[in-house]
Amino acid sequence: MIARRGAALALVGLLSAFVAGCGETPPPTPAIVAPAISTDQLVGKWGFAAYHKDTDRARTAKEAAAQCNRPYVINKGPTGGLMMNLADQKELSELILKAGPDGQTYLGPPGPPGGADDRIVSNVDANSFTTVWVDPDNASRYGTSVYVRCGRR
Amino acid sequence: MTVRAGLLLRVALGAALAALLGAGAGAQTPGQDEMNVVDQPGYQPTPEEEQLSGAYEKQEVFFRTTEAPGTIIIDTKGRFLYLVQGNNRALRYGIGVGRDGFTWSGLQKIARKQEWPDWRPPPEMIERQPYLPRFMAGGPGNPLGARAMYLGATVYRIHGTNQPQTIGHAVSSGCFRLVNDDVIDLYDRVPVGTKVIIRQAVAL
Repeated sequence: MIARRGAALALVGLLSAFVAGCGETPPPTPAIVAPAISTDQLVGKWGFAAYHKDTDRARTAKEAAAQCNRPYVINKGPTGGLMMNLADQKELSELILKAGPDGQTYLGPPGPPGGADDRIVSNVDANSFTTVWVDPDNASRYGTSVYVRCGRR
Repeated sequence: MTVRAGLLLRVALGAALAALLGAGAGAQTPGQDEMNVVDQPGYQPTPEEEQLSGAYEKQEVFFRTTEAPGTIIIDTKGRFLYLVQGNNRALRYGIGVGRDGFTWSGLQKIARKQEWPDWRPPPEMIERQPYLPRFMAGGPGNPLGARAMYLGATVYRIHGTNQPQTIGHAVSSGCFRLVNDDVIDLYDRVPVGTKVIIRQAVAL
């Protein structure tokens, strides 16, 4: 009986040490998740329009399609990213797609997803996609951007 | 430098629209108050920013003219728009006008009216600001503001603005801009077909 109690105490001590040790181990490295969207899906010539009210979305998409006479061109960058403008920047930057912990896909300069220069990419299909800036000021000024492919696939 | 300050420093608007000037265009004079300002799509001014004061605040003034009540007379040099009331009176609104090279004169009629007009930046603006959408649906923050009144068959309009600080200056491509409260007030007072006289200067 005494021997059984001693064994139980030893087991508790061992477990305590293990639990204490767990509290001191570094947090696990977050798994790098590939974005749900590929770079190639966004390369091309796009009609580009924006709206602020959801009720304007449908007609804005039509207007975007009508803007292919002055398209927004997205090419692949030298390191495989996407050459696009940041907000209010005339020069192109190479941007990458990033999977966010919230399940959203971000597009922006290299760095953690959800940065101030990022935009959220959504509603992606072969012929269109939508973006909204993460930065509240940019989001307020530019609203929701709709890109419609010129020369549908 | 803030984004807004950066925007204000950038050169705005191109010259191609001048070639599209409608019938009745007249001599051009240098702007007296040019403002090097770029459009700020989406920017929503505060009520305080939209509140004009002094001469550019909407007011009834003495105005001697033979034009019929209801006629609009635009004084591009003085940066005023007059709505003739009769009995030597007019409602006067402060406006922003075309930059040097874009000021024009002529006789037009309001051909169409539009609430919360959509905005399509001209090609030369896209060239300078390639990050701009090629179309922006009408609404608060739209550079054309709350209302637009189209002048004849020209590309020019009397419209609102999301940049009240530009009233009293020469900034646009040839259009005439009022703060949103004023353009709504004017819009409600004038029908399609209203005579619009654009002059370099108006003698009272």
